[in-house]
Amino acid sequence: MVQRRMTPDRLNRTFAALADPTRRAILARLASGDASVTELAEPFAMSLPGISKHLKVLERAGLIVRGREAQWRPCRLEPRPLKGAADWLEHYRRFWEESFDRLEGYLKDLQGKGRQRGRNN
Amino acid sequence: VVVTIDVAEDTTQRQLVLTRVIDAPRRLVFKAWTEPEQVARWWGPQGFTTTFCDMDIRPGGKFRFCMRSPSGTNHWKRGVYREIVAPERIVFTFAWEDAAGNPGHELLTTVMLTEHGTKTKLTLHQALFETVEGCDDHRGGWTSCLERFANYMTTE
Repeated sequence: MVQRRMTPDRLNRTFAALADPTRRAILARLASGDASVTELAEPFAMSLPGISKHLKVLERAGLIVRGREAQWRPCRLEPRPLKGAADWLEHYRRFWEESFDRLEGYLKDLQGKGRQRGRNN
Repeated sequence: VVVTIDVAEDTTQRQLVLTRVIDAPRRLVFKAWTEPEQVARWWGPQGFTTTFCDMDIRPGGKFRFCMRSPSGTNHWKRGVYREIVAPERIVFTFAWEDAAGNPGHELLTTVMLTEHGTKTKLTLHQALFETVEGCDDHRGGWTSCLERFANYMTTE
């Protein structure tokens, strides 16, 4: 039921890639459309090689793909790994929430029985 | 009963945080987490049954569980207890096994129990990375980022 769709390596790469504010900002920018490296670099006080380094991390994590054109290699968001990571988190959240529901029900029963038997729990 | 999902602004590790107030005294909640026969009664999502539950409750002790889904599929998971502090704290690693029995992505899990009047507040922290190298920057939250992209995916 949990994390079957994503390998641990893939998940680690996704989370590691997301663990940087510049890279998240790049992804947010790409969510509104493809962009060139120069366009992506504009909002940051960062050199093009600096931005390129971040793009390489995102590319390795499979979060972006880059066009083949030599002159203008637009970056495009590849949302599948993000969806995978979000699903994975959602599975965990649901796993614990439902376990807590059952824990609560179990403890309620336990205390009910304890009280009936004269609080010998 | 309120459940929140949040990312703590922790300086060392990113964490998934769930909180729940349970209407039972703390010592009972702690026992329900540390006695195998009790754990087997509630562990896992609705409809799942625990068919195997081996717990060596002490720091360094291992556990291994098997959950059977309503459709009959077995899901194994395992981990190692790091801290057992009655009646307030349990720390363990947690990983699902794949079909070949190899553990997957490991999470460091902390269960904290605090008294909340006659009730118990249970806080579960799950750190997504065991090592700092797995998470090279510790500012900002990625959960909101994921949510944002999940929304982006569904509205696309």
